[in-house]
Amino acid sequence: MADPINEFFQKIADQGHQPLLGKVRGTVRFDLVESQGGADQWLIAIDRGDVTVAHADGSADCTIRADKTFFERLINGEENALAAVLRGTIVCSGDIELLFAIQRIFPGPPRLRQTLGGSEGSQ
Amino acid sequence: MTIDQVRILRGNTFVVSDDRGDIEASAADPTGLFSFDTRFLSRWVLTINNQRLTALSTDDLQYFEARFFLVPGTGTVYVDAKQSVIRQRSVGNGFREVLAILNHADDPVDLIVRIEAACDFADLFEVKDALEKQGTYSTQVEDGRLILSYRRETFARATVISSSEPSQLDQDGLTFHIQVAPHESWRTDLEVTISVPGAGREEPFILAWQSQRAATDMAQDLQRWLDEAPRLECEWEPLRTSYRRSLVDLAALRFSPITAGGRSLPAAGLPWFMTMFGRDSIFTSLQVLPFTQELAATTLRELGLRQGTRIDDFRDEDPGRILHEMRYGEMTAFEERPHSPYYGCADATALYVVLLDEYERWTGDLDLVRELEYEARAALNWIDEYANLQGNGYVAYRRRNEETGLENQCWKDSWDSIAYHDGRLPGFPRATCELQGYAYDAKMRAARLARLAWDDSAFADRLEVEAAELKRRFNRDFWVEDGEFFALALDADGRQVDSLTSNNGHLLWSGIVEDSKAEIVVRQLLGERLFSGWGIRTMAVGAGRYNPIGYHVGTVWPFDNSFIAWGLRRYGFKDEAAIVAAGILEAAQFFDGRLPEAFGGYPRAMTKYPVQYPTACSPQAWSTGTPLLLLRTMLGLEPVGDNLVVDAALPMSIGRLELLDIPGRWGRVDAFGRGRVDTRQSTRPRDGLGRE
Repeated sequence: MADPINEFFQKIADQGHQPLLGKVRGTVRFDLVESQGGADQWLIAIDRGDVTVAHADGSADCTIRADKTFFERLINGEENALAAVLRGTIVCSGDIELLFAIQRIFPGPPRLRQTLGGSEGSQ
Repeated sequence: MTIDQVRILRGNTFVVSDDRGDIEASAADPTGLFSFDTRFLSRWVLTINNQRLTALSTDDLQYFEARFFLVPGTGTVYVDAKQSVIRQRSVGNGFREVLAILNHADDPVDLIVRIEAACDFADLFEVKDALEKQGTYSTQVEDGRLILSYRRETFARATVISSSEPSQLDQDGLTFHIQVAPHESWRTDLEVTISVPGAGREEPFILAWQSQRAATDMAQDLQRWLDEAPRLECEWEPLRTSYRRSLVDLAALRFSPITAGGRSLPAAGLPWFMTMFGRDSIFTSLQVLPFTQELAATTLRELGLRQGTRIDDFRDEDPGRILHEMRYGEMTAFEERPHSPYYGCADATALYVVLLDEYERWTGDLDLVRELEYEARAALNWIDEYANLQGNGYVAYRRRNEETGLENQCWKDSWDSIAYHDGRLPGFPRATCELQGYAYDAKMRAARLARLAWDDSAFADRLEVEAAELKRRFNRDFWVEDGEFFALALDADGRQVDSLTSNNGHLLWSGIVEDSKAEIVVRQLLGERLFSGWGIRTMAVGAGRYNPIGYHVGTVWPFDNSFIAWGLRRYGFKDEAAIVAAGILEAAQFFDGRLPEAFGGYPRAMTKYPVQYPTACSPQAWSTGTPLLLLRTMLGLEPVGDNLVVDAALPMSIGRLELLDIPGRWGRVDAFGRGRVDTRQSTRPRDGLGRE
């Protein structure tokens, strides 16, 4: 079975350049805490939008810690990173601006309903 | 009920108490210590020998500190106290309170000094709506500290209370058993600190950041702020008062987002709106550009960092959209409110581009224009790709979050503000007229920036073609032929929402009005249906929903008028701009120089004074910015290349006016003017233009 977290980081690595991170320079480490203890660590280095990914530990300008199961929902668009930070579900330390920046490349949530342009709703 | 509330603040940390310094909040009573949209103290009551105290006087020393002079006992006609009490409180990471008790008797006195403390950890939204909490509370006494805590899942907040003098601590407060010698005093320093108990080794960032922030000398900071502002010399004393008031209030309204490295942007209002708002922060930054430019730069950077990147119906977020409001409390954290951030705002995105261009015109800061090229292009793309909800090329809005989103996503955001002349309300989506003006202005200004800084003349050409086309269609589709003004909006079927409103003035400001229509629009704005003598009403007398004390349907908003005055200048109506400025500045006299958010639309001849519309928030940022923008419009300040052009048209009543050391790409320059526009006639409502 494919690991969605692996896929997520692999996709970022494959894309190489992220326009939404075009101004960003720095390293971000994700510490994804496993239910049986220990953490799955991913290190992302960003240089003006050029992104490299390593499945490894290492020092970072910003570390983002969350339960692995929560992170799976986050990269599915089922959770919002900034609300999670306020809640304490994600714990961030270091350069906060990097968290604000990197959450921009997380996907959006499923749509509440289809809303189209047009002239419905008039009364 | 509230009597004589005292408020002090620093950023989004503030204390609201009664005039004795006591806090006795109930679920819906908005007193307490607040920070990051959470109440960290809801009870803080001082007694001496089991008696409450009586206030003799209260000093708001500065916006961040207050002093309370008290005597023990209440309810007596005569104050015959042998002791007096001074509480001096200043805001920091929470607050610090110096409590001093002076014994005026010839004998020593034994006193039981008690402070009751408790906290409900309410979210600001809960304070407004009196909602129930879902988490659990606990209280601990340890190491000479009283710790009040709240936890809901991983969400944890705490308040830590300690004193410099030893006290007996219990679950409900602190007690000091003291003896004060004759003619001596006793003092203790009380520290109330907000904190987030670590969910692990590392603390969640927001409050950790707050507590690690160096406590800068706020008095020194305020003085530096005032020293750096241009100096105003004026024969008319009320203007000097308004100017000084605005500068101090603007200092208090500065808010430093966690990502801004200590730099500040203008929050929307004090104290309940001490947070980032797209619309309010941008409008205020625009108003104050001739006086300080750092607020605009921070606004642009911070809103850019939080620009929408995905489609999120709960937050009404789209790629490129500029946020409406950011909040940090429990309800936002648990997604019971969408403010993390919320994007339901249809004007801020175009206004973002307008601010970027105006900022460059004042500062010459091309680096920032280049740094924010991506954000500006994304904003322009939002206008075309995501705001075209009616499919006719106009910017429109309709919330996708139908439970907690905003219905009206323009500045007139109350439920009945967008109405036909006969009073009916249109369906959604709604395309209000000023949104088209802002979109036009954004395209025109972005075209300039594309040539100047982005090296993309093809993009510039395209934007100008689009803007010209938008202007042509707008002047056809929104023009109400039989009334001779621009409709408030187009409804979902493309029909005109045909009430006459102040939005016509914003259209002048944006430049979307064809020259041939400008004079008649000006005539409407200064005609008796819209102009009250104090200012231009949000909605004209005679419209179905007109109400002189209706929030957006008849009141006069100073901020609205300041942008209308700018619009009048843009089309060359200098004297009319002076008339609007005179009305608003004369109104400010009735509020000690601090303009309210709005005042009643009653004719000036009828009430003699402006009737304040009751609002909880004062000062309001864009009301604070209003006298500053009016100074700009009266002096006719306009950056042209590397020079500042001055073309004054001042009300006669102002006399001589000097604004010295105006900062900008020219360094610092001075501007002078002498009142020559006779605005006295226009204080009586009448038809026609108020030309000399």
